[in-house]
Amino acid sequence: MTPTLIARDLRKDYPMNGETVHALRGVSLRVDSGDYAAIVGPSGSGKSTLLQLLGGIDTPTAGAVELSGTRLDALSDRELTRLRLTRLGFVFQRFHLLPVLTARENVELPMAEAGVRGPERRVRARELLDYVGLAQRENHRATQLSGGEMQRVAIARALANRPAVVLADEPTGELDAATGREILDLFLRLNRDGTTLVVVTHDDRLAAEAGRVIHMLDGAIRD
Amino acid sequence: MTGAAWAVKRLARQPLRTGLSLAGIAVAAAMLLDMVMLSGGIDRSFSDLLLGRGYQMRLTPKGTLPFDTEATIRGASAIVAALRREPALEAAGAVLGTSLYARRGDSLITLFAYGLQPEAQSLYQLQAGRDLASGAGAGVLLSEPAARLLGAGIGDTLTLVGRLDPQVVTAAAGRRLVVRGMVRWLYDYRGQPSVGMVLSDLQRLSSSPAEDRASMIVVKARQDSAVPGLVTALRRRFPSVEVSSVADLVATFHERLVYFRQLSYILGSMSLIVTVLLIATLLTIAVGERLGEIATLRAIGVSRRTVVGQVLAEGTALTIVGGGLGIGLGLATARYLDAILTSFPGLPAAFSFFVPRAGALAFAALVLLLTGSLAGLYPAWLAARTPIAATLRAEAT
Ligand SMILES: Nc1ncnc2c1ncn2[C@@H]1O[C@H](COP(=O)(O)OP(=O)(O)O)[C@@H](O)[C@H]1O
Ligand SMILES: [Mg+2]
Repeated sequence: MTPTLIARDLRKDYPMNGETVHALRGVSLRVDSGDYAAIVGPSGSGKSTLLQLLGGIDTPTAGAVELSGTRLDALSDRELTRLRLTRLGFVFQRFHLLPVLTARENVELPMAEAGVRGPERRVRARELLDYVGLAQRENHRATQLSGGEMQRVAIARALANRPAVVLADEPTGELDAATGREILDLFLRLNRDGTTLVVVTHDDRLAAEAGRVIHMLDGAIRD
Repeated sequence: MTGAAWAVKRLARQPLRTGLSLAGIAVAAAMLLDMVMLSGGIDRSFSDLLLGRGYQMRLTPKGTLPFDTEATIRGASAIVAALRREPALEAAGAVLGTSLYARRGDSLITLFAYGLQPEAQSLYQLQAGRDLASGAGAGVLLSEPAARLLGAGIGDTLTLVGRLDPQVVTAAAGRRLVVRGMVRWLYDYRGQPSVGMVLSDLQRLSSSPAEDRASMIVVKARQDSAVPGLVTALRRRFPSVEVSSVADLVATFHERLVYFRQLSYILGSMSLIVTVLLIATLLTIAVGERLGEIATLRAIGVSRRTVVGQVLAEGTALTIVGGGLGIGLGLATARYLDAILTSFPGLPAAFSFFVPRAGALAFAALVLLLTGSLAGLYPAWLAARTPIAATLRAEAT
């Protein structure tokens, strides 16, 4: 398997009231294409911080991240933004859809930013909404959808530009058990269809289904 | 899904807030518009009024402006005759303005009278009946207010009296003249009861005809471009009178109105500042509320440029819609204010304070659009520098 995502000795310190919080204390990690990796661990162990560094949303204090052979620290801010747009997909605990836009427009947004033309964008957005089971909801505003539906739109949005990896931070954290189950099933299907997934979770079911489980404790991976 | 469409959607989602902001911007824009119309409008209106019948030059008593004082020019006919012989001049005519009385039963009614030369008149537009013929005893022209005051119409005969004898307060012998036509006097204030007659008739009524007095002589050049040169030539030729072109008079007027213009500049600038503050405040609040959304957009790969463009587009959309409403409001208030101001006694009713000129309005619109769009710069900068990771973390808790 070719490595898609590599983390080398990642460290992240936060200054806090004159002291330093060591959120990550040297994390190394390799995610191969087609992997389904779950990151678990107690609250405050550094899971979200790790995911943000892997996704190029934040920069490490030390260490490096490499996506498909590209070192993120070698990129300019603009290039990094472009890489997040075209090579990565993000799913958040609170969905973070744009409330003024419809489901389809939310899915189209990353494609519009990437310069995909209108008609092509619309077709793909419909396909993706169909894929996540929301074909009937394409013209609903984000605010008119249920939590589970919003998360499915968010997943469709994450897939819009055919990313190499989808990163999700507690994607079932805001959902009830049954709705969470549907999202887990969707992730399983996604992974079976070839999407590489790295998911931070508290959900034992997800951890059980993932191909790999990475345990974090106090800013480090516990073997 | 263009930036503009997105901005409009976002604004439409907060109808009350957007409506209030638009109302504020519209009021400020209306004020700007009125001030722009006011700043150049008076000059323009004055110039249009003086050039109403195409006479570009005025000869007045030395040291005065037209109808500025009771002073008069003596020997007017000789000057007019000399002017009419000039090949570069198309027409010249003398005008005398004075007060006069009409006898009605036992009482006397005070009127304003114009004495003029019908073949070269710059004072009125005929509205009904016949124009005056040249020569003495040709009759009299009435304005609508004069006709109403006298209860007279075309074909009626008026008895007009010149000077009153101060000893006995009875009138000297009058003249009987037939009403020929109804006219609109260009320089009358609203409701002014004015009558017009041939210059020699009025001279006979008001003073000694031998003095041949006129308040002013109006002169029309064949070509507008020749006016400055002609003014210089006429000054040399007639040193005993004041020679001014309409452009000179407008310039003098312009000088006298400097405070008016300063006021309009200051108020116009203040309305621009209000617009900027309104838009900047609204957008800053909106950006503050949307920091999570902005961080999300940045996280999923939306560029700073797009985010900045969104905020600026919102400011521009507000400016365009608010400014559009402001044009309507500004024109309506200008008309209303104009009606109030031009009803001041002594001001020609045909005068206008607020004159919409395409160039000035386009300039105001451009300045408004520019400042309105620039008002989004600070909120756009706030949006652009939103820290992605920290904001997302704050949103998650
Ligand atoms: N911006 C920050 N400033 C200070 N401390 C932070 C910041 N972000 C995270 N931390 C700290 O880093 C540690 C790891 O946080 P996080 O990655 O959110 O853990 P998890 O997602 O596993 O709950 C925590 O102790 C947290 O308080
Ligand atoms: Mg977390």
